[in-house]
Amino acid sequence: EHAKMVKFLKTGKAVILLQGRFAGRKAVIVRVFEEGTRDRPYGHCLVAGLAKYPKKVIRKDSAKKTAKKSRVKCFLKLVNFTHIMPTRYTLDVDFKDVASGGPDALATRDKKVASCKAAKARLEERFKTGKNRWFFTKLRF
Amino acid sequence: ESVWSRTSKGLPGDHSAQWQPRNFNRAAEPYILPPAPNPTAPPPPKKPPAAAASSSSLHARRGWSPDAMAPTKKSKKSTENINNKLQLVMKSGKYTLGYKTVLKTLRSSKGKLIILANNCPPLRKSEIEYYAMLSKISVHHFHGNNVDLGTACGKYYRVCCLSILDPGDSDIITTV
Repeated sequence: EHAKMVKFLKTGKAVILLQGRFAGRKAVIVRVFEEGTRDRPYGHCLVAGLAKYPKKVIRKDSAKKTAKKSRVKCFLKLVNFTHIMPTRYTLDVDFKDVASGGPDALATRDKKVASCKAAKARLEERFKTGKNRWFFTKLRF
Repeated sequence: ESVWSRTSKGLPGDHSAQWQPRNFNRAAEPYILPPAPNPTAPPPPKKPPAAAASSSSLHARRGWSPDAMAPTKKSKKSTENINNKLQLVMKSGKYTLGYKTVLKTLRSSKGKLIILANNCPPLRKSEIEYYAMLSKISVHHFHGNNVDLGTACGKYYRVCCLSILDPGDSDIITTV
């Protein structure tokens, strides 16, 4: 039969978290663990999301203010597929240094902080280009 | 407490409001909803064979002709067909019943056809349709509520949504 099956939970997919502290926040899938791991025997993925969205920048903001408003706070989280809502959007940001660590990118606190900083830098530079505006606007609910 | 409990009410019929985020370029990626079933089109009335002459003029005035009948409401025969096909799938194929497993099959793209009861809550219906849109799996809206769908599956419980993984001997995937 015609191959109808399109897997959509892939790296780069923009998703919305549904549960937990970051419920309602938008995130990008960085790495997918389809079959799960020994610690998490269910399908889950590593997402990088926006804990704090960048604020709205207006034309009459000074350069200093624009820089301050464009800052994001990022989070990295291993999240079950059932706790995310996939969207039709994608965000193709290169998260190589974040994802290369793999599951142990979140193992120790230092590694997590370092990965978070790397992800934050990537997301901020993407925001400044003005692309993927849907991703950087807060979901109102 | 999940996001779904706090989010939009999922008013029936008003699907357009849900998927239009503000403040961004709509033209970039248009999302075209499947057309909502048309409840306003009048079903073609049954025509007794004796009164063919007089009723044909009536139908002509109404703008209805047997050739141009829009399939907005399935005849009894078609619903029976679907029930028969479902029965065959239950016997010979693979399927899962229930919302959680349906989402699971949608995520893993294992499902081939999703069937929703007509009294499925609108938010849940939209969610399943959205997942199906992403994974390019077709959705069929069953003409009956969850009680009827459960009966059609041969079960003694209500079934709001089901997913067919492997149709077995049935041709339900190709014909529906």
